[in-house]
Order: sequence, then C-alpha cells, then structure tokens
Amino acid sequence: MPGIDKQKLRFKVENTQNLPTIPATLKNILNFLENSSISINKISDFISKDPVLTMKVLKMINSPVYGFPGRISSVNQAVLLLGLNVIKGMLLGVSVFELMQKAMTGLWEHSLGCAALSNLLAKKKGLKSPEDVTIAGLLHDIGKVLLAVNIPELYEKLIAATDKHGFTILEEENAVLGVNHAEVGSWIAKKWNFPNQLIEIIQFHHEAHKAKTANLECCIVHLSDVLIRAKGFGFAGDHFVPEVNQHAWDNIGLSEGDIKELLINMEESLEDYEELGA
Amino acid sequence: MKTIILISKDNILIGTFKSLLENFYNIVVFSTIQSAIEFIYNSIPNLLVIDTEPNDFITIDILNTLKGDPIFTHLPVLIIIENHKKINIVGTIAADDFIVKSDVLTELKTRIELCISRVERIVEINPLTRLPGNISINKQIQNRLDSGIIFAVAYADLDHFKPFNDYYGFSRGDDVIKMTGRVILNTVKHYQPEGSFVGHIGGDDFIYLMDIDKVEEATKSIISSFNTIIATFYEESDRENGFIKSFDREGNERVYPIMGLSIGIATNKKRTFRHFGEMTGIASEMKKVAKNSSTVKYMIDRRQA
Repeated sequence: MPGIDKQKLRFKVENTQNLPTIPATLKNILNFLENSSISINKISDFISKDPVLTMKVLKMINSPVYGFPGRISSVNQAVLLLGLNVIKGMLLGVSVFELMQKAMTGLWEHSLGCAALSNLLAKKKGLKSPEDVTIAGLLHDIGKVLLAVNIPELYEKLIAATDKHGFTILEEENAVLGVNHAEVGSWIAKKWNFPNQLIEIIQFHHEAHKAKTANLECCIVHLSDVLIRAKGFGFAGDHFVPEVNQHAWDNIGLSEGDIKELLINMEESLEDYEELGA
Repeated sequence: MKTIILISKDNILIGTFKSLLENFYNIVVFSTIQSAIEFIYNSIPNLLVIDTEPNDFITIDILNTLKGDPIFTHLPVLIIIENHKKINIVGTIAADDFIVKSDVLTELKTRIELCISRVERIVEINPLTRLPGNISINKQIQNRLDSGIIFAVAYADLDHFKPFNDYYGFSRGDDVIKMTGRVILNTVKHYQPEGSFVGHIGGDDFIYLMDIDKVEEATKSIISSFNTIIATFYEESDRENGFIKSFDREGNERVYPIMGLSIGIATNKKRTFRHFGEMTGIASEMKKVAKNSSTVKYMIDRRQA
C-alpha cells in the first residue's frame, strides 16, 4: 500500500472541526447538564477525565479569541477563565464516534491509565505542576483520535493488521502512512497554540531523549505509556508492549522499591476508571 | 424616557411615527438634519431616524461627519427608505439599520427597540476585557442605591502591576488584565448568576456588585483562582525566584513579588449612601487597607456610619 500524501493529511488534521468522544462520556455529559448547580472543580474533574473534552477546552482557551495563546495547559484554569456558560455550550455540541467505538473506548482507558500513572510519577519526582504532566499523559495519543476521525476506514484496517504483522501501531503507522500518531498529535497541538511543553510531550512520547524543554516530563509520560500497556489496561492500538526508552529509564531513576510502590498505587488509582466500556 | 429624533418632511410618516411611538418615547421631529444638529450636539438622543432620499448627499455627509466623532459613534441611526427604491447604504451612510417605508406600520417599533438595545449592549465596553466601563458601573450602583437595594460593591486591583508591565512589556500586561477580568466575571457569575454585575474601571482596576451574603465567598475564590493562574504569566526563572527586578518611579531598582489582588468591599447595610461615588470611595479605602496589610488580601467595611 503506498503511503498517503502527508501534506494533504496534515491539512485535513489541522482543519478537524469535530472531535467526537466515546458513548460513556456523552451519557455523563447529559447527566451533568441536567444538574444546574455544578461546581467549577467538579466540571474540571469531569473534563480532565476525557481526552477529547480536554482538547476542546484547551483549544478554546489557547485561541486568540480568549487571548491566552500558548499559556494554559491546566483544565481547571481553563474552566475558570472560560466560565461555566462557555463550558456548558461546548458540552452541548459534543458528538460520539460512529465508527471504531470499541477501539476508541480502549484508547480512552489507555489514555486515562497513562494520565493516572503520569500523575503518580510526577508527584514522586516532586515536579511542581503534576497536573500539566497528567494532562500530557491524557493527551499523548491524541494523534490516534485524529487519525481515527480523518481516515477512519484506513486506520481501522491499520489497527487490525498489527497482530498479523507483529508490528506495534506506531510501526504500522510509519510503514503504511509514512507518519505516526505522535507527529499527527503535534500538528494539532501546534495548530491550536498549546503550550510548548505539551506539544513536545505529545510529539516525543516515543522518543523521550529528543524532548528539550520538558525532558523529565516527557520521560514520565513515555514510561507511563509503556507501563500501562504492560499492565494490560485499555487498548493502545495493538497488543504489544514496546521497549522502554533507555534515556527515559535512566532519567527517572526508579528503584525496585519505587516500582513496587508505584504498582500498588496504580492499582488504586485505576479502580475509578474501569467503567468506561459499560 | 428615551429620546428619538425623527428627520422627515413626510407628514404622513411623521403622523404614523408619532402614533406608534409617542407613548413609549420622547419624539422630536426635525425637517432636515441641519436643523437637528444643534439639538443632537446638546443632548445626545437614544436614536436618530432619518427619512432620506437616495441622493441627499448633504444629509449623508452631515450624518457621516457626526458619526465620525467618537462621542457620537454609538448613536444608533435607522434609515427609512422609499418603497422599492434601491439605495446603497453599506459603506456610504453611517447607518446601523434600515427600514422600507411600506413596512413602517408593521415593523417600525420592533426595529427601533432592537436598534436601541443593541447599542446599549455594546456601548462603553472596555476593548481589552469586553467588560462595561465607568458609566455603566456608576449607573449600576446608582440604580441599586436609588431603589433601596442592599448590596456590596467590591473594588479590586492588582499589586505590582506596573513593574510587571515595564519588565515583560505591555502586551503581556494586557493578557494579565484580560485574565483578571475573566476570573472575576466567571467567579461572580458562578456564585450569583442573577443580579450581579462586573465592570472594568480601566487599567488594573475592577468593580463587582453582588449580594452581601455571597460577596465574601466569591472574593476568596477570585483571589485563590488568580493566585494559581498568575504564575503562568511569569517566565520560569522568575517564577522560581518568586520575584522580578524592576524600577520604581524614582528609577531605583527594586524587587517586586509575584502579583496579587487586593480587594476592598463596601456595603450599604449599616450606612446610607446617596451617590455612587460615596460607596466606591469606601470600597477604595478598604482596598488600600487590604493592600497595606501583610495578612489579608481583602477587607470588608463593617463600620456604622
């Protein structure tokens, strides 16, 4: 199969107007909108448990209309600045995947798991804003959502082929498309004026040694991505566990005790998330 | 009562106009714009309605000159045109809307209401924050005082804004002002969706009006939200230091901490105010107390007058 025109794909991705979410989220949105007295913190919590809702909020707050381009990567801050009316309006317009619902629900679980682990690791390493790393963990695979939206039939085939070829989804994308979800994710993050650190983590979550401004943060998301796959939580597009980037491993520098502790805490923080497919 | 000026030589139109609107507005009729201009200069009407011919260049010219002055830019102008005569309004006449003569009977009142309310919505907003400015603020306070409503006026301003502006440039300073306006607006509307009001006095000064039982909680929330967000407006090295080095008015280098908000609150629960200025004066006084305090960021006036 010949690669597809990268420029055309980029144009399509950058002009994506509608990012759908999974059915479970839509169900929760409807419950939410019926409840008139929602606190800002509750709605922030809700939004930061869905990669697409988080993308939408960050897109708005980093757009020239609100005037804070490249500055805000915290959902809570974005909600404070946008206001509940704007958020409610946004939620009213949310749609659901028509194709690949199962794969996407798996991807949501993978993303949430990665976010939860990134959060634990960021706190463990004493980072000053663990929320930023958590959001980066949630959004690291957003490129996969954009591919599923823009080339749904092709991307579905691509996921199906990973088992047969023995490729990870990343390798499969590179072979078939000549571009991968990390790069595709960075296209939209740049286009939507996301903060540099967030763009970098999305772009380099498979090549953490290349991250310049947020290297440790990027290493954390990379390791969380691999660990959550190893744990078998969610579905990232294939059934393999990729190698951990050596640089990332050395940079984070976990001891055996740390890992044990992390695995225990991981179990606890994942308990909240098991319901998505229901 | 709001004043509408009608410029027309058509006696039938004038008659219809008056019979439709006389009960709701103060109608002043002139036969030409030249004769109306002095009246307009002396007391800006709420709406100017002009019944004009397509080639009446004098009227168009005078109208455009009038609307070119910033004071009259927001004076809404409704043009009445003859039936079926095509007249090129956009780009030539400084009008805000038009109506065809045959529709006057059925549509005029609605058009006029829309014209006036549209201007009332957009008039006097701060271009940066899109919040209403001093005239609206004063009116909002005065209206509440006049109707005997018990309420709170909060006066907020930033600490160390000027050195921040000097150090990072005014464009980033503008972003901080916009952020502050959003945080105040969203928080006030969250705690009190109805009957509250947020205005931007200018610079780094903001006013909000709320019910007394909600103002303190909202104020605390505004301050804590501001404090979490403001850090993102500093470069990382400055954020880590917790200060920037900038110059004071005398040109001496000084150390300025990360910006904060100081808020002063006045209420008419135990005092009687006649004029809005008395109330904002007390709020401003309370704000100064908060600003000079090392322990509190807001201060509510609880003195008995």
